[in-house]
Amino acid sequence: MFGRIGKSTLRDLADEDVMARFQDGDARAFEVIFDRHAAVAFSLAYRICGRRAIAEDIVQESFLSLWRSGARYDPTRGSVRSWILGTVHNRAIDSFRKERLTSSRNVGDEGLAERLPAPQRTEAEIERRDDARQVRAALITLPEEQRRVIELAYFGGFSHTEIADLLGLPAGTVKGRMRLGLTKMRVALAGPADVML
Amino acid sequence: MTSREAMSGNPGCGLDAAAYVLNALEPDEAEAFHRHLEQCAVCRDEVGSLRDVVDALPMAAPQHPVPRGLHRRVLGAVRREPGQAPPSARASPARWPVAVRAAALAGGLAAIIVAVVVAVTLASGGSPGARVVQASTGNAELRIAGGRGELIVRALPQAPTGQIYEVWLARPNHPLTPTPTLFDVTTAGQASVGIPGDLNGVSEVLVTAEPAGGTRVPTHAPVIVARVD
Repeated sequence: MFGRIGKSTLRDLADEDVMARFQDGDARAFEVIFDRHAAVAFSLAYRICGRRAIAEDIVQESFLSLWRSGARYDPTRGSVRSWILGTVHNRAIDSFRKERLTSSRNVGDEGLAERLPAPQRTEAEIERRDDARQVRAALITLPEEQRRVIELAYFGGFSHTEIADLLGLPAGTVKGRMRLGLTKMRVALAGPADVML
Repeated sequence: MTSREAMSGNPGCGLDAAAYVLNALEPDEAEAFHRHLEQCAVCRDEVGSLRDVVDALPMAAPQHPVPRGLHRRVLGAVRREPGQAPPSARASPARWPVAVRAAALAGGLAAIIVAVVVAVTLASGGSPGARVVQASTGNAELRIAGGRGELIVRALPQAPTGQIYEVWLARPNHPLTPTPTLFDVTTAGQASVGIPGDLNGVSEVLVTAEPAGGTRVPTHAPVIVARVD
């Protein structure tokens, strides 16, 4: 279906176009996808698990499973990044929940202080950090009670009833705070041009 | 969007959307809300816009570079795998039984051989009054009667250590719905599991191997796909 295409040309294509090559079994296309999304995938896994080795394993298993199931990517269901990070998120939460059952590790957002190599200042890296700064700002400027329930749900994998038990709140209050928090983040991330008045 | 479809009439409409996109609803609540989405455009819009926010949440984590060596290990593992066949070599449904396509996806030669043999012998079956849907492997069939389903599995390998088989329902234009049905097979590879809920509107019943306790979003490719007409 596709003629041979150089890796440098692959890097100019959008994710969805690279995925078409990926689905044809092109390992170079896989490498382009990995290079684009592995850093945020590792950062997510590490944030949830707090263990570098476990986070690396999760990223490796996630990308390998994506390689094996690449034919099932459906662009109508979301971006390539959200597809990848969804897989990483699920595996990381499962790993975290298993560890939670066997230890009393604090579920806060600080893991062990591990030395990680300094990032390369590439254009993609700078853009990623700028995006991260914007999203982090939208989250940390939320009222504490809204930020907390969102973090417990997303980075801890807790259900709203588990969060209600943890915080001693009614379940409806937890749902309401999730809704308010995500709505505020939606406005903050949309920017002034997209806000509907 | 019809006026009937626009609002479900539920005064609590939209309250569960945030918890839903955060995967923070209990399984029965998630299933009920998922059904509600089919009738409520307001909630569908809410879910769509909030999902964009949740998709951005990974960026709120402190960002780190890829650890040294991980790139090499992952690419090395990929190059050692058989990988997916290019389109010219990939079988079309008209040339091969559905069972063989799914078994090829799983990548096991032994599975292909078994699936071909079993597909031939499952040409007919099912109890009177029931509709039998041959699943993607010849080792499974879905029996539907009165809108309720039962999945009959034969010769499926036991789930890997620490994993369980989970049943999912697919509906057109909707994300996969997890069910509370988690199962493993006997040492003979057999199982018979009821599919909870009504199968009306369901286009596929799928089975994946997931971590023990199940997951809210599949993390593996399906081992069984039963397409419901």
